[in-house]
This record gives sequence, C-alpha cells and structure tokens, in this order.
Amino acid sequence: MLTKLALAGVKNRRRDYLVLLAGLTMSAAIFYMFANLATNQAFIKANAVIKSASVVFGFGAVLLALITIVYIMYANSFLLSMRQHDYGLFMMLGAKRRRVGQLVFLETLILGTIATVIGIVLGIVVSKFLVGFLLDQLGLHLSHLASFYLPAILFTAVLYIGLFILASLFNLTRLMRTTVQQLLHADQQANQPKSRPLRQFIGGLVGIGLLAVGYWAMAAIEHLQMTAIPLALVTITLGTYLLFHAAVLAVIRGLRHTKWAKKHLNGFLMGQLNFRVHDYTRMLTIVSLLFAMALGAITVGSGYHRQMPMTADSLGAYTVAVHDANAHQKHLINQLHVAHQATYTQKVQGKTTYYNAAELKTQPFQQIKSLQSSPNGKPQFYTESLAKFKKDGVTQLDFIMLNPNKLGDFAAPKIVSAAAFKQLKGTTYRVTTVRVKHMADDMAVLKQLDRSEQHRFPQASTQLTIGTYQSFEMMNGIFGGLEFIGYFLGIAFLAMLASCLMFKILSGAPGDLRRYTMLNKIGVRRGLMRASLAKEIGILFAIPGIMGVIDVLFGLQMFKPLMAKPMSPYLGIGTTFAIFIGLYVIYYVITLGLYLNLVMPREVVRD
Amino acid sequence: MTNAVVDVHHLEKTYGKAGERPYTALKDLNFSVAEGEFVGIMGASGSGKTTLLNMLSTLDTPTKGDVIVNGHDVTKMRSNQLSDFRAQEVGFIFQDFNLLESLTAEENIGLPLALQGTASKVMDQAIHAVAETLSITDLLKKYPAQLSGGQKQRVAAARAIVHQPSILMGDEPTGALDSTSARELLDLLTTINRDQHMSVLLVTHDPFSASFCQRILFIKDGQIGSELNRGDLDRKDFYQQVLTELGTFSE
Repeated sequence: MLTKLALAGVKNRRRDYLVLLAGLTMSAAIFYMFANLATNQAFIKANAVIKSASVVFGFGAVLLALITIVYIMYANSFLLSMRQHDYGLFMMLGAKRRRVGQLVFLETLILGTIATVIGIVLGIVVSKFLVGFLLDQLGLHLSHLASFYLPAILFTAVLYIGLFILASLFNLTRLMRTTVQQLLHADQQANQPKSRPLRQFIGGLVGIGLLAVGYWAMAAIEHLQMTAIPLALVTITLGTYLLFHAAVLAVIRGLRHTKWAKKHLNGFLMGQLNFRVHDYTRMLTIVSLLFAMALGAITVGSGYHRQMPMTADSLGAYTVAVHDANAHQKHLINQLHVAHQATYTQKVQGKTTYYNAAELKTQPFQQIKSLQSSPNGKPQFYTESLAKFKKDGVTQLDFIMLNPNKLGDFAAPKIVSAAAFKQLKGTTYRVTTVRVKHMADDMAVLKQLDRSEQHRFPQASTQLTIGTYQSFEMMNGIFGGLEFIGYFLGIAFLAMLASCLMFKILSGAPGDLRRYTMLNKIGVRRGLMRASLAKEIGILFAIPGIMGVIDVLFGLQMFKPLMAKPMSPYLGIGTTFAIFIGLYVIYYVITLGLYLNLVMPREVVRD
Repeated sequence: MTNAVVDVHHLEKTYGKAGERPYTALKDLNFSVAEGEFVGIMGASGSGKTTLLNMLSTLDTPTKGDVIVNGHDVTKMRSNQLSDFRAQEVGFIFQDFNLLESLTAEENIGLPLALQGTASKVMDQAIHAVAETLSITDLLKKYPAQLSGGQKQRVAAARAIVHQPSILMGDEPTGALDSTSARELLDLLTTINRDQHMSVLLVTHDPFSASFCQRILFIKDGQIGSELNRGDLDRKDFYQQVLTELGTFSE
C-alpha cells in the first residue's frame, strides 16, 4: 500500500521529476563521454594528437567528478524537499519510520539508476554524433574512437550509482532525525538572511584581493610554472564566493531603499533575489567557474586553430618542393603567388644525394631566420656563402629533406664541384623549391600540388611530402585536435553549468508557485509577473556569466607564452564569445520557459 | 437599495468537463451589497461559499449570470482588466494570510500601491497611515516569519485596504487565529467599515465572526437559503440569533 502511495506521489509530480531526471541524465551522459575519451586506450594510442591531451582529459574527468558530487547533493536535497511533505503525511497516517525510510532509500536509488542508465545510453549516442560532427568540422581524422566502451560504461555506472547510494543514506539519516511536524511544514519555513554589514564588507575586500592574486597568478604563469593553475583555481573560487556574498547582497540592499524598488514588482524582485542570492552564493560561484572554464576552453581551442595560418608562413624556407615537375605541376606552380623559386639538380647514389656546387653558388639556398630574432614577427630569409653553407647549411633539415626519397631513408647530402658532379653516376632529378608570399592565398593550388607529388612518389614513406605546406597540414591536425578538446570541454562544462543552474532555480519552484499564486490573487497582471520572473532568473544567469567573462579575459593571459607573437589568445575572441553567450541565452530562455510553466498560476483558478 | 457595490444576478456555476457528470456549485443566485455595508456569507463546507467568493473576486468565471462590482461587469473582463480590477477595486484577506515572506511587512503592505505605480512618497504616507489605524507601526520593518498569526493577519488587512478598494473581501480571515486575535481582527474590520465606509464581505462558517456583520446570507446547496438582518440588535444578541438560525437552517 505504501509503495502504491509513493508511486502515486511520483506520478503526481512527474513534471518535477522529469526536470530532475533530465538534469541527472545530462550529467551522466557527459560524464560518460568524458570517461570514454579520457580512458579509451585504443583511441588514445591510435592518435598521437590526443595522447598529449589525455592529461587534459584526466584533469577534466576529475573536475567533472568533483562537480558531479556537488551536483548530486543538490539533486538529492531537491528530491527530499519535494517529497518530505508526503513522507510526513505517510508517517502521520501511521507508517513506521523504518518503512518510510526504506521507501526514501529505494526511491532515490531507483531515480539514480534510471538517470544513470538513460544517461549512459544518451552518452553513447551523443558521443557518436557529436564526435563525428566535430571531426568533420575540423577536417580531422582520428581513428578507433568507439562510442561504446565498456570500461567507461562501468566507470560511469559505478560512480553515479555509488554516489546515489551515498545520497540515499544521507536522505535516510536526515529523515530519521526530523519530526513528523517538521516534515509536514518544512516548506512553510523561511529563513531570513542575517545582515552583518561590516563582516560582509571585509569579506568583499578579501574576495577582491583573492581574485587579484588569482588573476596575477594566471598572467605570471611563466614565473610560477605549474603552481599557477592550482593557485589561481583556489584563490578565484574563494574570491568569487566572498565577492558574491558581499557585493550582490549589498547591491540588493542598496536598491531596496530606492524609489525604483517601490515601483511595480521591483520590490518583490529585490526581496526574492535577497533570499535567493544568499542561498545560491555557492552555486553561483561554481557556475561562474564552470562558465569561465567552458568559455576559456572553447576560446583557446578555436583560437589556436583559427590562428594557425598566421604562423604558416614562418614554418620553413620553402612551401613546396617538386621533383621533376611534370606539365600539370608546372602549370600549378605558375598559378602560385611565388616569392622565391629555385631549381637544383640532384644525383642520387644509394642513400646519398649529391648537389652541384656551381648551381648552389649562382642560386644560393635560402634559409629562414628563427622567429625570435625577427623584430616584427614576420619571417625573414637569408642566404650564405657557399663555403659557409657547406659547413652549416647542409645540416639544416630544410635542405636535407630535399632528397627524392622525401622523408624516406636518406643519408647526409653532399655538395661536390661542377666537374665532379658531372662525373657522378646515379639517377638524376631536378628539384624545384617554391615559396609563396602568403600560404593562405594559395591553399587550393598548394593542396593540388601536394597531392600530385604524393601520387607521383608513393614510395616516399608515410605519404608525406616536404615543405611548409605539409608541416602546416600536420599542425592543422594537432591544433584541430586541440580545438576539438576545447569544444568538448566547453560543451561539457556548459552542460554541467546549465543543469546546476536549472536545478537550483527549479528547486525554488514550489515556493515560488505559492508566491505567484498570491500575487495573482491580489491582482498583479500576468505580464508583470512574467517580466518579474524573467528578470529574476535573468539576474541569476547574468551574475555568474559576467564573472565568468571577466575570469576568461584574465585567464587568457595564461596562454600568452604558448601563443607566440603573431598569434595572441585575445585575437578574434569576439566571435567565440558571441556564440557562447548566444548558447547561454538560449539556455536561459529554456529555463525560463520551464519555470514559467511550473510557477505561473493558471488563467482561471478552479477549486 | 441604492448604490450597490456588489450586484449579483442569476449567478450559476457548473463544474465538470463535457462528458463528465456536471456538478452545479451555484444555481440562480441573486443578491447585492450596498455601499458601506458589512455583509456575511455563511454556509457549511461544500455549500458553495468559496466558489461564490472566487466569482466575486474574479478568480473564477461564472457559467451564467452577471457579477457587477462597483459598476464594473466583471464577467465581461479579459485577463489584464481582471488583474487590474483585483488590484484596484478589491482588497483581500485570506485564512492563510498570503503574505510574501521575502518582503518586509512594509513592502507587503505597499505592494498594491507599487502595482499602480504610486509615487514613493505617497506610498510611504499611505502605508504609515494604515499602519497607524491597525497599530502595526512597530512591525513594519519585520519579515512575516518574525510575526505572530494575529500580527500577520493585521499586516494582511493593512495590505488589503491600503489602496482604498471599493470592497474588502475576507475568506475565513479568523480561521487560523486564536480567539483574542480573532476578536481583535473583527473589531478592526468593524472599525474600518464604520470609519472609512468601506464595504466588507466576509465569508465564514464561524457564527462568532458572522455576528459582527450587519446582514448575513446563508447559503445551502448553491442557493441563498435565508437572510438575517442585525438591525439595531446588540452583537451578543445577534450572535444568539445567528446560532438559532444555524440550528434551524441546517435541519
């Protein structure tokens, strides 16, 4: 009978449970995706690009696990507060405390299991779709990414269900300690935040100080090395918490006494926020950090990828090198915006390639200066006298790699006099090196040229050709991978943030339902109520959003050493920010829609 | 009767969707409340008195008939008009107070004025004036959680009359109060009715509360069964009369 009652209770509140389930499912799904990418050995081993990033995934997974614990605690308290009235009623009707306890335990556990199972299935589906889509977008080929990976499934299941068992036990003990009366009337209690202005003021100052330390640590990452990240994480978290605690309440208190607060529902809005923000400070802090991390990850990832072509021109001395160019290739070369072009005769004996000294004298091989010595970040080229080149230049990789084996088996090249060169036996090649003015202008033609050269020399190992165009393609892969990770982390954090925020906000719905019913009775227009709700939730979204943007703007300093001169972590962040904030706004609209649905009184009350 | 604040003609309310067995909560109800009158509506649970109050206060729409409050035909109004009507013409006191616990007493009282966009100076004056009348001036800065039931209901009463509505409606306002607080509140309502000439409509099943009214309508099975006029009777005698009427009425 009791089980029947409980089921009926769940059925009556299926809308609330659906929201709850959606948040938990989302969390589990993302965790699965994460666990899959972080632990899928076949995937990591098959992609050198990802290997170096598995540390990032590991870090991300730990972070996600920590946040998931906080998240489940929220979920749990929400669940209990939703049901405690019913539990109290059961006890009042004579149900034994133990029996109700079992009920609570089972209910929490069943919900958790359902959420985890759906989450994992969703995770498998979404990771398949999402990963495929992102790889397509980035023109990357990563092999062996199975969307179904048993260890990751087990890991997710064990962690989530384990956490839910803990949560159920927690619920149980809490329930056992509460009296029936408290349970029945729990939703009618309201605790007014205490105001301690001086303490809050000091707290606010300390918060700002901590934030400053955190921002400084991120900018000074070259000095502090790896200590910068944990230092920044701790100081920014604490700083944000203290600042929110002090500043937001102070602002609300200040506003409450203005004329503005006495117009329409503004006073009510302030009162609501006063209650909420106090209660939500911790959640807002977490959300602002998640926001910053999501935005930061996406910004940095896409920044790298986007800015790659800027460094492309300074990767080496020539863009492409073609051996014995055929008519088609000559035609293609003519279409390029050539900055420098040279042709050398080669004779190959075994693994050694010989060059004619006379040719190198009339047409010295151009080399590139290292970027550090160039004043404006633009690449500079120079030539050397033959004597010097023989000693020094021949050891340069750019020159060595001109051999017709390309990256295959080769020995050090030799430069011999014109007479000696003539005497040499062996296969003769003519290699043409071409450097274009800007690689970005000639991408399409370069690609054709590269392909045709690959096609002509299939024996050249691993299908690689030489020149900066090939280097560019490889780096594009690496940075594309980084962008992929950036997006992935970004989406994961955004989704977590989303559910955290939605959850906490929606958990306020039962109380708000009562308040808005009252407002409806005393004659507040529906439009006014809707606007008030939109503002209230909007502010709860905006606070961590603004803080998160500030965090990112400072946090990008960390990537300055990694993104050297022509690149900058701040370049073109506008678009990324706009897209991200767009997503955030969509999320706000969805939450608001759900909330309005939950809280707005029906057009006509029937009793 | 001249200057009726509330005029109800042939009011009918039927519940139940198409296909279900309909339930008629009110049938062919006719009555009016004159300006400055203190009228009680009595009836047992399920007699339809809350339904009637919901119709009068526009929280629900009638199936048939007209409800005219202070010259406005509320059955013809649309949603925003209805809200504005409730905000301007009606003052409400509920059994469970319905105060917003996130606002101070002062802010709760000021809410109806804030909704009308009243200037903050005017608002402050009105709040203090009404607080004076109800002797709750020292409670203004407190939150509802810090108030007793009687204090809460006085704050709710202040909120109900601060904007000078044409009628004050009470839905079992003493239902959650102890007898002292209940008597205080009813005395206050009487004072407001007498001094400010505000019409009061009180829905109750408590004969003691009803004895403060000048006229009582007894509702039974969705119809007005009988009516009792206090005339010049003393409240105590009227109370006896109400008890007697209830005794015979429910037979």
